[in-house]
Amino acid sequence: MARNEINRMSVKFDSRSNNEAFARQTIAAFASQLDPTLEELNDIKTAVSEAVTNCIVHAYRQESGSITMAAVLYDNGDIRIQIKDKGCGIADVKKAREPLFTTGDQERSGMGFTIMENFMDRIRVCSREGIGTQVTLTKHIRRRNTDGDSE
Amino acid sequence: MKLSHIRIPQGILIRFSGELDHHEAGKCIEYLEKIMTLYSTDRIFLDFSTLTFMDSSGIAVVLNAQRNTLGAGQKLCIVGAPPFAVRILKTAGLTSRIRMEPMIPEMPKTEQEVCTNGTK
Repeated sequence: MARNEINRMSVKFDSRSNNEAFARQTIAAFASQLDPTLEELNDIKTAVSEAVTNCIVHAYRQESGSITMAAVLYDNGDIRIQIKDKGCGIADVKKAREPLFTTGDQERSGMGFTIMENFMDRIRVCSREGIGTQVTLTKHIRRRNTDGDSE
Repeated sequence: MKLSHIRIPQGILIRFSGELDHHEAGKCIEYLEKIMTLYSTDRIFLDFSTLTFMDSSGIAVVLNAQRNTLGAGQKLCIVGAPPFAVRILKTAGLTSRIRMEPMIPEMPKTEQEVCTNGTK
């Protein structure tokens, strides 16, 4: 189905863990324009939180870098979000997406990609070692009628 | 994220208030380890009722808590988890492995009667 872009945004921030909340609040504010339910909004925030955390923990590890989050809203209710880093890249994307697989420490559960897959409608991961990683998340926000029920 | 704990008749209640993400996870794991070592013979209740957000970092926190209890022979229970937290824990298969209650379970009547009588 054809869709038209109605709004877009892009923010760039340091790979600091206290920017995880900033990324969530930013995407929530932007996605609110599609009038999502609280659950849909939480799904988007959670997926973004996972993607941004991956950049901080895995892409840049102990070093600092920048993360770019861009999003586009469409008139059919779709939101497409891209989270991009210029970190170390993922050697084996298929392996990285396996549940419970992590190269992190005890603070990591290895469920980041699984959560993104469960909470969003579509996820695409493009990565090159030594260059960086781009994660694209897409979700369709169901239109609600004037009574607030989803169509 | 604000962490606190209180002693209740059923054991130790550890309350998580705010957002539980990677930024807060390390602090939570350290706090849990400290409290669970301090009260190593008690039942431990993780109160999630005032959480406003949780991502997969919460899974790591709960798994660490479970690891601590298994080592010390304690019992772990999550109380008041909001739907978004339950969904995250369910994705990791933890809802079938860890006791979850909507609120702090009442003490078994037999124990209450014993305490009322002042004998154990």
